[in-house]
Amino acid sequence: MQKPEKHARPTLVSRVTRSTAFWMFLCLLALIVTFGLLSENMVFFNSSNFFTIALNASQLVLLAVGTSYLLGAGQLDLSIGSNLILASVLSGMTITGLAGTPAEIVAGEYPNLTFAVIAGVFVAIGSGSLFGLVNGLLVTKLRLNSFLVTIATTAIGLGLALVITHGANVPYIPRAMQTGFSIQKLFGVVPYPVVLAAIIVCIFWFILEKTRFGMRTLAIGSSVEAARRCGISTDRHTIILFVVMGALAGTSALLDISRFATTNISGHQTDALQAIAAAVIGGTSLFGGVASVIGAVVGTFIPAVLATGLVILRIDPFYQLIVIGLIIIAAVYIDQKNRDNR
Amino acid sequence: MENQANETGNNGIAVETSNITKSFGPVDVLKGVSMKFRRGEITALIGDNGAGKSTFLKCLSGEHKPTGGVIKFDGVPTELTSTLHAQEQGLEMVYQDLALSPDISVVENMFLGRETMKTGFGGKLGMVDRKRMRDDTIDILHDLGVNLKSYDVPTRSLSGGQRQAIAVTRAMKWAQRAVLLDEPTAALGSRQKELVYKAIREAANRNLAVVLVSHDLPQVMELADRINILRQGVDVGHFKPKDVTLRDVIDVMLGEGISNAEA
Repeated sequence: MQKPEKHARPTLVSRVTRSTAFWMFLCLLALIVTFGLLSENMVFFNSSNFFTIALNASQLVLLAVGTSYLLGAGQLDLSIGSNLILASVLSGMTITGLAGTPAEIVAGEYPNLTFAVIAGVFVAIGSGSLFGLVNGLLVTKLRLNSFLVTIATTAIGLGLALVITHGANVPYIPRAMQTGFSIQKLFGVVPYPVVLAAIIVCIFWFILEKTRFGMRTLAIGSSVEAARRCGISTDRHTIILFVVMGALAGTSALLDISRFATTNISGHQTDALQAIAAAVIGGTSLFGGVASVIGAVVGTFIPAVLATGLVILRIDPFYQLIVIGLIIIAAVYIDQKNRDNR
Repeated sequence: MENQANETGNNGIAVETSNITKSFGPVDVLKGVSMKFRRGEITALIGDNGAGKSTFLKCLSGEHKPTGGVIKFDGVPTELTSTLHAQEQGLEMVYQDLALSPDISVVENMFLGRETMKTGFGGKLGMVDRKRMRDDTIDILHDLGVNLKSYDVPTRSLSGGQRQAIAVTRAMKWAQRAVLLDEPTAALGSRQKELVYKAIREAANRNLAVVLVSHDLPQVMELADRINILRQGVDVGHFKPKDVTLRDVIDVMLGEGISNAEA
């Protein structure tokens, strides 16, 4: 009979090479090297180029991480784009409403800027979370499918944003949010939005890999019935995940208005699909039970690197869409294969 | 493995029901079931389809609230409010299927809902102690002779028999009083059943009351210490397998014999 001591933990290498995220990371490296070598004077390898790419990815990565959690728990949130728009509208209106009188705002003066921005932060994250709470309650209490619920709330959220704004973007959002935050760089190198996104990503990685909450998230996605029988309040857990997803959408909304000093009502329509694509490229399973935060980061960067690389190589950037489509097919194929082999 | 000795002793009655009734609307599924389940014994609960076996088990596991009657744990009448409450009372249930989460590891399944947390600051952050959970899992499975190639692969990669054996082991690990099994081998081949039966026997050896609902009568005759028969919501016979033949049991089950030999 075998002794228990013989059951060594699988080595780091064997664990890593089994993960989709690892192979997709190699893809990402290959892309970077290819673009770097092909670019004129190897400008692609320039560190500022990388941080520009990271800055562009900073919003999507938050959505991709939240989506990885939800997919891992067997749920889906297609409404994050609408959630983001509504949060940015409410936050933008809060900031412009509180920062000064209408006349001052139009003149570009913001006497109460600090207070207004702090309020705006709370409103963005609060409204995002509340949106998520509604999704979560509809999914758990009414037992509705999250795919359909969030298609509905996508329409409702965007509709609300349009009703509130009459279809026009919120004007006069203070430029100070750009100059004071989003174009600032830590140590003069790393843009603040990237730092913020990196911190959030690290926290979510920690929770998924190391904590009871993360473990239960994947258990619920794997078999909600088995998890319930183990005494886990699956409804409560699922609601929390939707709220967290909403809070991440709210945070992404803050990055949006601080980076561009305007809302983007007509944008963000493909945010949810991009986030799902990034999660799946990174090895998160569409069937629940498997999720990877590192994978979500890699999955966010592959399209971002492609977009920039193609521009630098002066190739029509629309090819990006085709390449990403192919990568998603590959990722889904790997996911399927892994399930068969288990 | 040493018995988890209990003050009530090996023949102590861990769970006792008196006159349990359960109705779903106008349908009376249980019509007054009184049974005793003793520590260290496997009590098989058998009966034809619709006899009320699963309903009775669900009354014990806290999933159903009995319409009438009393459940006593070590003599103390207790009204179960939920499966969680039943777990707190030391009862663990093993289901026919969906017992384990397929994508997470054996170790995680073993501790799901009752994770071992890290001590100190890590635990406050919600960190689980994977190493300790892993060591404990390997220990208890090893004691049972369930040897897996890896404890870290997703549970779906194991055979059905291994999965069910692990489900029984988990119930045994957490149960303080009784393990309830609802057709745990119904979906398994004969060799895989052996693995599960071995684990069930081990649960009784650890001084737990074991209640087994099964259709596999020949196996039940061999495995169980007592056989309780339900027919149309009434308990119609309590036997010891060594006192009766398979034929007798089937007759009582189907209503052709009416002996009620309280063993």
